[in-house]
Amino acid sequence: MKSFDMDILRILPRSLWVTTCNSGSCNGCDIEVVATLGPRYDIERFGMKLVGTPRHADVLIVTGPVTHFMHEKLKRIYHQMPDPKVVVVVGNCGCSGDVFYKSYNLDGPVDNIIPVDVYVHGCAPRPEAVIEGVTKAVLKLEGLGKKPDKKEEAQEAEAMKEAEAAGGVAL
Amino acid sequence: MSTTYTIPVGPVHVGLKEPITAWLELEGERIVNARVRPGAIHRGIEFMARERNPIQVIYLSERICGICSFSHVICFIRAVEDLAQMNVPVRGQYIRSLVLELERVHSHLLWSGVACYTIGFDSAFHLGMQMRERVMDVLELLSGNRVNYGVATFGGVRWDVTPELEKALRGMVRYYRQEFTPFREIVMEDPVAQARMRNVGVLTRDEAVRYSAVGPTARASGLRIDLRKSSPYEAYADFDVEPVVPQDYFGEAHGDVLDRFAVRVLEVYQSLDIIEKILDGLPEGPFVEEANLNKVMASLKKADGTGWGIIEAPRGDDTHIVSLKGGVDNVLWWKVRAPTYANAVSWPIMFRGNELADAPLIINSIDPCISCMERMLVTDEREYRSEVVTRSELVKRSRQKTFELGSLKSKYVPGGGAEQ
Amino acid sequence: MTSKFKKMAVDCETLVAALKAKFADDIVRLDVREHRGGSLNEVQSRDLWIEISRTAFRPFLDFLFEYDFVDFHVISGDDVGIADAVQTQTQSQAQDQNPDGQNQEKPQEDSVLLHYHFSLFQRSRCGRMGVTLSVRVPKGDLSVPSIFDLLPGSEYSEREMHEMLGVEFVGLPNSALVFLPEDWNEEIKPWRRDGVGPALEALRELS
Repeated sequence: MKSFDMDILRILPRSLWVTTCNSGSCNGCDIEVVATLGPRYDIERFGMKLVGTPRHADVLIVTGPVTHFMHEKLKRIYHQMPDPKVVVVVGNCGCSGDVFYKSYNLDGPVDNIIPVDVYVHGCAPRPEAVIEGVTKAVLKLEGLGKKPDKKEEAQEAEAMKEAEAAGGVAL
Repeated sequence: MSTTYTIPVGPVHVGLKEPITAWLELEGERIVNARVRPGAIHRGIEFMARERNPIQVIYLSERICGICSFSHVICFIRAVEDLAQMNVPVRGQYIRSLVLELERVHSHLLWSGVACYTIGFDSAFHLGMQMRERVMDVLELLSGNRVNYGVATFGGVRWDVTPELEKALRGMVRYYRQEFTPFREIVMEDPVAQARMRNVGVLTRDEAVRYSAVGPTARASGLRIDLRKSSPYEAYADFDVEPVVPQDYFGEAHGDVLDRFAVRVLEVYQSLDIIEKILDGLPEGPFVEEANLNKVMASLKKADGTGWGIIEAPRGDDTHIVSLKGGVDNVLWWKVRAPTYANAVSWPIMFRGNELADAPLIINSIDPCISCMERMLVTDEREYRSEVVTRSELVKRSRQKTFELGSLKSKYVPGGGAEQ
Repeated sequence: MTSKFKKMAVDCETLVAALKAKFADDIVRLDVREHRGGSLNEVQSRDLWIEISRTAFRPFLDFLFEYDFVDFHVISGDDVGIADAVQTQTQSQAQDQNPDGQNQEKPQEDSVLLHYHFSLFQRSRCGRMGVTLSVRVPKGDLSVPSIFDLLPGSEYSEREMHEMLGVEFVGLPNSALVFLPEDWNEEIKPWRRDGVGPALEALRELS
């Protein structure tokens, strides 16, 4: 399953399907993600659309500093997404924790738990920044189409193995 | 042999302290029982505050919830002002009330848009989102940010109302007076939308009292409570704010989703009136008692005791209790009760007797936070088989029901008939 | 008895006088705070802060429920430990002008202070009165009667206080965890300031 079809990678970045996961954010980033769907920012101009399930998605938008409860769920969502996939973290707290520190119930930031490709800073980032972040995901996928990165593939294979060991993909 | 299914509704659940997992017990399509378990997104904010001083906690409290962030800030600040006996200049009070009302407008618009999305009324959702951008522009003009405004501080506010902002505000009020009525009519006078929301998720007045429902949820059940009337804070002391209850407009309160929709929509008009009154009566003078934060910090260090702040946030009353200890920089302890914390207790009652397809609408109806349901796990207990029902499928079911109603429209008489 | 609409709305002074008459011996502390606001800076609402002895807790609530409907907000609480108990004792002694200052009537017990927040008389303009009822619960016997039968809306608050401070609510049908994750070690009570609180190593800095 690791041999990416070059044709797929040429076509795929033209219409990315995005799913979101709130791992403990204040909702501020999530309303900005909703605003990008709205008529003013209209993310569908770029062929992107929000889907409800990770199994249909190419891009995962994660918000929030990852609570202990959400740790396993976030991993599971990540492993449910088909390859190739891109993870975009939206908001300062998912990138670095920001105001959330010294808590007994936080396992974040997000890159402690799953590999992250794009960081969108801001508290909360403007819809334009969210759009920019997701379009950077296109660049990553296009890059994959040109020259498969051996190292990343190895990493992802490892992650898959880990998931299988944890029973994460069994669902 | 009864064949009930148990369906957990979404551990992945957006919100602050009120992310809810609900186990719905179903008999066929009908919900016979519901259990609710919050806690997915418990960040331990109240615990974190013990390591910070009150000024740092302002910005932490802003990040409790991104939608009603200003309500939480004002509530926290009022609790501290209560215990430290601080004064707020009248202009500062007016600006606080102004931002609170702007926040109510944007929260209610967002909610009515999302409620339309849940029942499959996509054009109304986009209409709602487009209208909401106007109030976001005004908030951005005031504070420079769209979500966490950072406007309030102890003893006043940080940003003043400039002539430019006043002009934008008046333009916004005019815009909404013109544009909001069509939106209301499109949704509330649509027979399918009426049929979809009428008599769904009913909470009676007595249940609302017993289960301590707050805000629009309580008012939709006919409970005439609004803290802006019963204990006016900030600039509301100068205006008469009457609680919006459905019986005043439609003759009777059903306590269902349509009533909750109506209460929120009518509150938008009320907020517009209040914004105009605030602009007309905005007094001259300072907008903050003491702008030097070091001095504020020094006086807060001396403060000792427990304070209680309570305000009417868009979703209901928001309660913060703060305790400071003399000679200590940090907050001793802090308790936040967001409105959904109170309203979520009445979910199990609202669910009873409704259909699975109504579950997203009922969860949304108390305005827990925008996108409640991320995904669901359906467990068939007879065959020990699990399958994942995604949010999109659940929303699809919800929408399917609307379309079926739509095709039956000619035969279907919406229960109640609110507009008659 | 549950919370219901009643016609009995009284003003602050009358309520305070009635409470003092009925619970004279059990009231540890009673304050009235006024909230002012608006351009005229008039009193807009009042808060009543009452600390009451543990034995009088339920009778006090039953009395409060005679009035216009009691709206429950939340329970808050703190692990006050020993020091605060001593401080309260000295303060109350100073107030009482108690000649034998060494009396042991108020034992210096390690305790948790719970605050119940209610609202009364919400129907008239500026009529609302906030009532904060505080109860000191010693850690030796960390339990109070549940108010779930009076107000089912208190369920989450009671469960939260159970998981955060370890207070037992007698008569609460379901005292499972509310906000803490399922795999949480229930021995650890996050808001406690003694050995039962979370260990320093358990606190994450994130960045």
